Amino acid sequence: MTLTGMKKHVGVLEHAGLVVTQKVGRVRTCRLGPRRLDEVTTWLEQYRQLWEARFDALDEVVEELKRRETFNGRQKRK
Amino acid sequence: MDAKRESEPSPMKNRTTVEQRSERELVVTRTFDAPARLVFEAWTKPELLKRWWVPKSSGMTMLSCETDVRVGGTYRFVFRLPGAPEPMAFFGRYLEVVPGARLVWTNEEAGEGGPVTTATFEEKAGKTVVAVSELHASKESLEAARTSGAEAGASEAYEQLDELLVTQR
Repeated sequence: MTLTGMKKHVGVLEHAGLVVTQKVGRVRTCRLGPRRLDEVTTWLEQYRQLWEARFDALDEVVEELKRRETFNGRQKRK
Repeated sequence: MDAKRESEPSPMKNRTTVEQRSERELVVTRTFDAPARLVFEAWTKPELLKRWWVPKSSGMTMLSCETDVRVGGTYRFVFRLPGAPEPMAFFGRYLEVVPGARLVWTNEEAGEGGPVTTATFEEKAGKTVVAVSELHASKESLEAARTSGAEAGASEAYEQLDELLVTQR
């Protein structure tokens, strides 16, 4: 993993409350945040993310179907 | 340090939530801004299903997608996983089919006694609340899926996280 990639990962974990970071000089230290970080929580979050990615893609497909329907509706009314 | 305490990692336009409803059931929900029949259509037509079931961000590609959406009909999805030498097949049967409202199917790739998935589509004022329940035969079955998923899914999840990061920033 690149340094930039790692920074992003840590940023997301911090945003989620999973870790808390503190920068002293050039060193940023991480410790566990207020959110319960156990195996179950992590797995549930992975499960949620898979479905979220899936649903984001489904959203695009559904939006396309909506547009197609509106277009066809207009065609029919002509 | 003012760390956020909400259970969701980041604000999204449409939130996907997951809930462990019992020791053998997981439920994912999401609201779509479309009528239920369109969401159902995207869920059942193979040419549409293959466009979203395996999101690009998962790193997986769907090699084939066959659905015979009727009670007793079968489905079969074949994926290629990043780094895996052989494609993986996921298959099962539809147990209930109520167009625009409800779809229930088995997951039989791991043998008999796999989880049963129920997707419900509930339309309210032009929007559709989709709830996907994954009901395992036993507490142990869910536990086993969790354990293998946690191991096999770790690197995959990081790849997805990478992708999500790119889209969110």
